[in-house]
Amino acid sequence: MVKKIKGILRVIRMSFEIELRQNLTDGFVLFGIVIQPLIVAFTALWMLKDKGPDYAIFIVVGSAMTGLWTALLFNSGNSIIGERWAGTLETLVGTPSSLRVIVFGKVLANITQSLLSMIGCYTLISLVMGYPLTLSRPIFFLISILLTVFAFVGFGVIIASLFILIPDFQRLQNTLEFPVYILCGFLFPIALLPGWTTPISYILSPYWAARALHGSALGALEINQIYISWVMLIFFSAVYIIGSSALYRLVLKRARVDATLNTTG
Amino acid sequence: MKRSVTNIKIFFEGAILSYRALFLWLRPATYIASKILAPLTMMIFFVFIGAYASGSNDASFYVIGNALIFAASSGIFGVTMSIGGERWSGTLPYLFGSPANRMAIFVGRAFMHILDGMLGVFIGFGWGILLFELDLSQTHLIPLLLTILITTYSTAGLGLLMGCVGLITRNVMLVNNTVFFSMLLFSGANISLETLPKWMQVVSRYFPLTRGIASTRLVVAGAGINEILSLLVEEFLIGLIFTLVGFFLFSIFEKQAKKLGTLEIF
Repeated sequence: MVKKIKGILRVIRMSFEIELRQNLTDGFVLFGIVIQPLIVAFTALWMLKDKGPDYAIFIVVGSAMTGLWTALLFNSGNSIIGERWAGTLETLVGTPSSLRVIVFGKVLANITQSLLSMIGCYTLISLVMGYPLTLSRPIFFLISILLTVFAFVGFGVIIASLFILIPDFQRLQNTLEFPVYILCGFLFPIALLPGWTTPISYILSPYWAARALHGSALGALEINQIYISWVMLIFFSAVYIIGSSALYRLVLKRARVDATLNTTG
Repeated sequence: MKRSVTNIKIFFEGAILSYRALFLWLRPATYIASKILAPLTMMIFFVFIGAYASGSNDASFYVIGNALIFAASSGIFGVTMSIGGERWSGTLPYLFGSPANRMAIFVGRAFMHILDGMLGVFIGFGWGILLFELDLSQTHLIPLLLTILITTYSTAGLGLLMGCVGLITRNVMLVNNTVFFSMLLFSGANISLETLPKWMQVVSRYFPLTRGIASTRLVVAGAGINEILSLLVEEFLIGLIFTLVGFFLFSIFEKQAKKLGTLEIF
């Protein structure tokens, strides 16, 4: 059992490292994790400036979360598509290691790397623009960040499987980017949206991540409400990871039975 | 006369073929999603931030700004990919090896995207009317159409320039996405320009789209052609300057690439 866990961790570490190395050569990664969140942050800051200086931390967190989602959707998605185009996807599926574990490492690398967007937004708004940025509950905020990484990785494992199973999925990337910003309340409360969208928000783990981060940064949530956000976040992330096993079985079927894994659409 | 007819033929054939090359391989549902749903989601995002900021239900400021952004989406991404895509698909040597008129080839790449961008703006207005109660009752149709046409042209001019950049860089997506998102900030689509810092106001004057959005807001409020004429002339000139600079670079890159043998080096 210990040997098996060690093996899994080794695969995650290697997948993580290779993904980071590949990202270093891709300028679009830089756009997704630094440039776009900064532009979104600056735009939102100007749009929401009448809300007062306390709102700067809300914008830092919200803009950084847009960076996390963009990185997840584009970088992780493109990484899978890249394997397909390079002809290495079938090889990856054929290795004794679980494809889900390999994808987990890739997504973890992209999400960890995109935490840079939070540092970038913080630096822009605090140091460059001089807004006071204080965290109401720093310990809760740090724990929320760790859980946010978990939430996005869980979400990413599901999303990545869709990139493998549906060759056309990449062409929907632009269509999927903003709905998550909207439904997860990254930069405005979901209470502004029509009521029928609320259940959709509730089943998205990034929504609970945004709720926990905003709540602990602004102090707008009671401690027990932050705990609830954490529990929901962990619950839905676990559901995604467990649920993804069925999708990855389908991936294996496509590889072994249908031989359509390398179909590009 | 015969040469002019040939150039016009090259212009339109190049325009249609390059547009088909970009989109024909997409499934209809995917094409519709990228043309209709993706812009809508972006509009909703900024409209709701605006509503949250102002506490007002009047979304027309953001609807108009983001509808015009659709023009920039076609103008920048479409045109950039049409020009830069020649290199990626390995057709650039054939293009540079042909005796065809370069201006017809170059500007032709933008033509369909100007029409496409205009369609995008109409779709944006349609969403605005359907979802955000955009009121066009005071709007004069001809000035509105003229504004949309000129604004789309000027963004396509920037796209032609960006397309040339795509001929010499591996990171064209980094460049054109940065330019596109900068327009969200500098064009006044989501923020009143007068509230921005002075240096940003200065930068915004050199961007296409800025005057187009200002002009559209005036037209929707009931302004006639005389009140927006100066804005439209300036917007057109900005597009023309970008087109000419783009063509100048295109010519230089062609000469350099032929001289150094670097046509397909990434």
